[in-house]
Amino acid sequence: MSLFGSLAISGSGMSAESERLSAVASNIANANSAVGGGGQPYRAREVVFQAVAPQDDASDDPSSIGMAGVKVAGIVESDAPTHTVYDPSSSFADSNGNVQMPNVNPVDEMVNMISAQQDYQANLEAFNVAKTLAMRTLTI
Amino acid sequence: MAATIDTGLDFFRQVLALRAYRQEILSADISNASTPGFKAVDLDFASALSAANTSSRRLPAEASTKSGRVWLVDDARQMKVPETGVPGEADSFVKYQADGEVTLDGNSVDLDEEKVTAAANAVQYEAAATFTSQTIRMLMIAITGSGSAQSGGS
Repeated sequence: MSLFGSLAISGSGMSAESERLSAVASNIANANSAVGGGGQPYRAREVVFQAVAPQDDASDDPSSIGMAGVKVAGIVESDAPTHTVYDPSSSFADSNGNVQMPNVNPVDEMVNMISAQQDYQANLEAFNVAKTLAMRTLTI
Repeated sequence: MAATIDTGLDFFRQVLALRAYRQEILSADISNASTPGFKAVDLDFASALSAANTSSRRLPAEASTKSGRVWLVDDARQMKVPETGVPGEADSFVKYQADGEVTLDGNSVDLDEEKVTAAANAVQYEAAATFTSQTIRMLMIAITGSGSAQSGGS
């Protein structure tokens, strides 16, 4: 039934948006982490969204493009240049006394967070509407 | 006799199914509001409904010539539920929204507009549900001869 499909699609949207929010939280939390994985400074992470057909649908059917949920296709690390901070006292400083700091841009992260919040709310609204309609149908 | 008791209800069944289908499409637009390259789509409801109506009117006629009585469930097609639950060829009336603004990442979903359309569609779904209830009530009045008899809902 279509209304359950709406619930599934909105659910996929909410889960994808919350993953995006997790990436923002991770970036903000590590904005000053001089050491991330592999001894390198932390790099900002971004989620990549992809539209997917519902599982019971033929995914290669071009006409079903309208019935797409969303999923996180992958998480990419930003290739923006890292900040260089002069701090000779740091144990991570190189021979010139420079420390490589993460390439997290707080402004980008805040904008991303607001956008994720709005999208999440929109998904939640659509979910609630579909739920209300399904309940209304039961009282016909 | 051509008319069956669900003749009027069948129309509402299609309206409800198509409204639910459109709600699903709008949900998909909303959930892909940040997906790069996603193009917003919508269902041409009026065309889909009239197409569903013309295709469903054909079926009882065929059934009646074969079985003689429409209301007898001796033809498998009368019990057949469409696989998607959506009448007609509704898929072919899903169209891209052409007038939307496309962002730099190739996404054409206007979140506010989608929300408004989804809300309007929900109200129209509720309206169709109410009409369905009233039609059932009318049938109940015709059957019982009294308006105070049990009704099919509010």
